[in-house]
Amino acid sequence: MAKKRVIIGLLGTTIDAGVAASRWETWRPTVSLCQHEDLLVDRFELLSQQKFAALRKTIEADIATVSPETKVRHHPIEFDDAWDFESVYAALHDFAAGYPFEPEREDYYLHITTGTHVAQICLFLLAESRHIPARLIQTSPPTRSRHQDAGGYRVIDLDLSKYDRIAQRFDQERREGQSYLKAGIDTKNAAFNRLMERIEHVALHSRDPILLTGPTGAGKSKLARRIYELKKQRRQVSGKFIELNCATLRGDAAMSALFGHKKGAFTGAVSDRPGLLREADGGLLMLDEVAELGSDEQAMLLRAIEDKVFLPLGSDKEARSDFQLICGTNRDLREAVRAGEFREDLLARINLWLFRLPGLAERREDIEPNVAFELAQIAARTGAQVRFNHEAAARFRSFALSDEAAWSGNFRDLSAAITRMATLTVGGRITAEIVDDEVARLRAGWSAKSPGGDDDQVLAAALGRKAGEIDLFDRVQLAAVIRLCRASQSLSDAGRALFAVSRQKRSVANDADRLRKYLARFGLDWDQIAADAGE
Amino acid sequence: MIEIDGSFGEGGGQILRSSLALSLCTGQPFRINKIRAGRDKPGLMRQHLTAVQAAARIGSAGAEGANIGSTELVFTPGKVIPGDYQFAVGTAGSATLVLQTVLPALLTAPGPSRLVLEGGTHNPFAPPFDFLDKAFLPLVNRMGPRVTATLDRPGFYPAGGGRFTVEIKPAKGLAGFELLERGAVVSRRARAAVANLPRQIAERELRVVERRLGWPRECLVVEEAQGSPGPGNIVTIELAHANVTEVFTGFGERFRSAEAVAEAAVEECRRYLGGAAPVGEYLTDQILLPLALAGAGTFRSVGLSRHATTHMDLIAKFLGARVTTKPAGSHADGTIVSIAAS
Repeated sequence: MAKKRVIIGLLGTTIDAGVAASRWETWRPTVSLCQHEDLLVDRFELLSQQKFAALRKTIEADIATVSPETKVRHHPIEFDDAWDFESVYAALHDFAAGYPFEPEREDYYLHITTGTHVAQICLFLLAESRHIPARLIQTSPPTRSRHQDAGGYRVIDLDLSKYDRIAQRFDQERREGQSYLKAGIDTKNAAFNRLMERIEHVALHSRDPILLTGPTGAGKSKLARRIYELKKQRRQVSGKFIELNCATLRGDAAMSALFGHKKGAFTGAVSDRPGLLREADGGLLMLDEVAELGSDEQAMLLRAIEDKVFLPLGSDKEARSDFQLICGTNRDLREAVRAGEFREDLLARINLWLFRLPGLAERREDIEPNVAFELAQIAARTGAQVRFNHEAAARFRSFALSDEAAWSGNFRDLSAAITRMATLTVGGRITAEIVDDEVARLRAGWSAKSPGGDDDQVLAAALGRKAGEIDLFDRVQLAAVIRLCRASQSLSDAGRALFAVSRQKRSVANDADRLRKYLARFGLDWDQIAADAGE
Repeated sequence: MIEIDGSFGEGGGQILRSSLALSLCTGQPFRINKIRAGRDKPGLMRQHLTAVQAAARIGSAGAEGANIGSTELVFTPGKVIPGDYQFAVGTAGSATLVLQTVLPALLTAPGPSRLVLEGGTHNPFAPPFDFLDKAFLPLVNRMGPRVTATLDRPGFYPAGGGRFTVEIKPAKGLAGFELLERGAVVSRRARAAVANLPRQIAERELRVVERRLGWPRECLVVEEAQGSPGPGNIVTIELAHANVTEVFTGFGERFRSAEAVAEAAVEECRRYLGGAAPVGEYLTDQILLPLALAGAGTFRSVGLSRHATTHMDLIAKFLGARVTTKPAGSHADGTIVSIAAS
């Protein structure tokens, strides 16, 4: 059984008018809809105001004459001013809300030729938002040469995906968007490409927080910036891109940097500061290493996400900012929640969209396109073309793609390697020797780091969030000490190894004690480190 | 199952309606494809759908593909049930064409019928009511049945809304007839009708008839038609001979002068008067089918249209009856059309 065709339309109080028999000689859109040989209207839902009852009855009778197949149903609808958007929309919305649509049994067409322009806009909006699940139908008067015709009609389906050429454009836009997120790098890794497809879709269809995880150097903050640029291109953001690495902030400074302060809020607060959240209003805020945020900042951030308000330091007035949040982390936030270092409610709020960026080692097929990209970047920056010679390219490729290449710093490592090699060329050619030197350099770098990952990870494992409170000067040393401790059998063993040089010059050997005191300065002891190592 | 190529011959709604009529009369199902294939908007339009539905109703028939725009239809007739029916055609489409579809089967049905038909009664490209009433039905009645038609109110394009009633007293079977000569003139009348339009239009039209045909005043009638929902105008020239009555019609339209409307009807009438064949082109189209159902008969036609040849083809398909045509001969004009059961 074919679906019933139902037209919903407003009575055209001017354009449908006419009482004498001569009305049949003028084009009346509502009646004309029922006069088409190829358009059988099963039902006409005619919306009109009570004061036009006489005209409505004429139209109903005329439809009955020209279209005995059509059942006309009248729906009273009232507004004082047919040009007042609010009241017209409200009245039509009420109609839509109360109408028992049965789209599986009936096809609906919304007649948009009658009614004021305001009413037509309202009908369009209701159809677009699917409050009225209808296609639009527009009627037009007959041409002069066919003066007695019912004129024309056109059906407009607002489901844009149904139009080939428009769908093609969207498809192209989508591909451009994905390519944009990938910085134009023609990546080959299927999983990565799928991930970008998904991120592109989410980025353009949602303003909810996005959480990017993945190892250091996987490109989290670069991706966040690209998401922002893409949204800006599509006019979805009006504000700025604000980026912050949470590991670089501690205490009052963190609160102030994020949420701003009033002049005099603390020592050194010599003037008002809006804070990064305020600066990101209407834009996008990227908080990298979000796990390093202090608990006060976490609480305030949660409120800022949920209610879009927060309290600047020293202020008794809430500040307001509406931004999209992207967080980055290389830590397991669930683990951090379990350890009591991260708020569970905040995690729930920020990982609505969770995307894990793979490290370079997981997508080795993308190394080559990224090398090409890096070289192009260098060329753009320096104005000089740099290329691998044939042998050099083969050597670098075979190393880069081998399991031997850990790429623990991921794209950061790759970018640094290419930059170094490009700098060392003569005449823009990267030779096999340059590659060999670089390969050695990379190997050394990775072996120094392993086992146990990079300094940040070592310190974070031993100290938790307190790791961020240590100066870089101490971090390097402490990380090396912890690594050695983990590899040692006992405190004494570690002490002997650490102080091996001075030991030879000294008569009294108090290496173990020296080490114990050193660790204590950071609140660490041997058992704790040994326990970490054993996990 | 009889297969019909809907694009054959006339290739429009006529081939469909005649197939429906013949299917109802013979009880044979048929499949028609390429319905109105060459037209602007191919497939079934609303007026065709109404005809299909009307045929399905009186013939207890199944109709697959009876949708707007459908280019294929399978029609499986059941028992023809006479009785009271009302059929309404939308878009001011011709109600007489619906009658044409269902009438043949009711002529020999097991009981009388009363049909109320609504829609257009005077449409260009369809037999107007007066033609049906004065020219066609008398020939049908000559074959045995008693059919009368009464116009309740006219319906003109674009408003439609006309209505007429047809009473059918069927016959056991249809008897053929021979119609080779007109016979003596019995009456002549020209009628200009206006509905919701100034009377002067009709008066201007009759002046043209008076001047061009030289008929006396008493043959000319102005009619202000009552009950039509919309405006309308027609000129009907009725020429009754002893053996046959012919009706010629001019249809008023917007932007067409009253004189031009009358001229069209006059021109047709003059052409008919110029010859001696009794059956005009339109009447030939209409009478072929009932005569073929009778199984025998001969008449002299002014000429065969494409509708007529399409009919002949369908008649051969459904009835196996043979329609032969030959020139009327050296001393007479027209074409002799003969039907014989094969």
